[in-house]
Amino acid sequence: MDPIDLFSLRERFNQTRIMLCFNGPMSRSLIEEIGNALKNYLTADQAHPSAAMDVFGVYIELTQNIRHYTHARAWSEQDAGATVVISREADGRYVICAGNLIEPQDGAAVCTLVDQLAGLDKAALKALYKEQLRKPRPDSSSGAGLGLIHVARTASAPLQASLHTLPDGRAFFSLRAVI
Amino acid sequence: MQSFETPGSQSTPTIRANWEEGTLFMEGDSYPENSYEQFRPVFDWIEAFLSTTGRPLTLDLHLLYLNTSSIKAMMDIFDRLETAHANGQQVAVRWCYDRRNERVGELAEEFREDCTFPFRIEPSA
Repeated sequence: MDPIDLFSLRERFNQTRIMLCFNGPMSRSLIEEIGNALKNYLTADQAHPSAAMDVFGVYIELTQNIRHYTHARAWSEQDAGATVVISREADGRYVICAGNLIEPQDGAAVCTLVDQLAGLDKAALKALYKEQLRKPRPDSSSGAGLGLIHVARTASAPLQASLHTLPDGRAFFSLRAVI
Repeated sequence: MQSFETPGSQSTPTIRANWEEGTLFMEGDSYPENSYEQFRPVFDWIEAFLSTTGRPLTLDLHLLYLNTSSIKAMMDIFDRLETAHANGQQVAVRWCYDRRNERVGELAEEFREDCTFPFRIEPSA
């Protein structure tokens, strides 16, 4: 395996305008601390308060979704990790990407949901969101639905999801939201 | 039931419930992982106040960002106020926010859509 070339990694970050990235086990306090750093970056970046709240909100929903999912499966700390990248497009829009290990059937289900959400306009997303809000709390874990609909409502373009199957039978799910 | 006060943290709001005045004040961000736990004492206090005193209750909100599970918890609170209102009890909400952050105003507005009791949304200068 090649040694890590920090310089080229840095170049890559700069070229792709990555403001913040994280890969590894993600605790509750780490979500808060990175969230805090994100808020500071956005302030320094002179993001409009509404845009800053949108980016922060999407980051929180996606990372907490990952925590709920992996916690419910009682996976090891290493398997329960998250990969999060927050960057800026050339046109100034913010992009939040978040990914995690997932059971293939759960991954397929969430991809289907993302596709369904992509076909809905803002009014339909709002109606679905309000409907989901009124549903009883899911007993375990997932909670998913509501958070994902919120992210879809916040995003300025349809969410993009992808699923990579891994040799051990599990999969890596990733989601991309443009604000 | 008594008054209580919970200091806020990075991810939880400051909460002040005043039994004598019949006011509940909440300020700050709310995005704990388990919002249900966080809001349980608030909900219990409101329930006790409405079901035992018969006095008017006012919520004074200065909330900013809420994660979706906090939104769900707030909806449960507003539903309880709606029930009280339908039974002729006097309840009111005032939600103040910084007008530069219209997301907070939009959030408050979505709650207000489902409420028929007095619900004022006040952008600050």
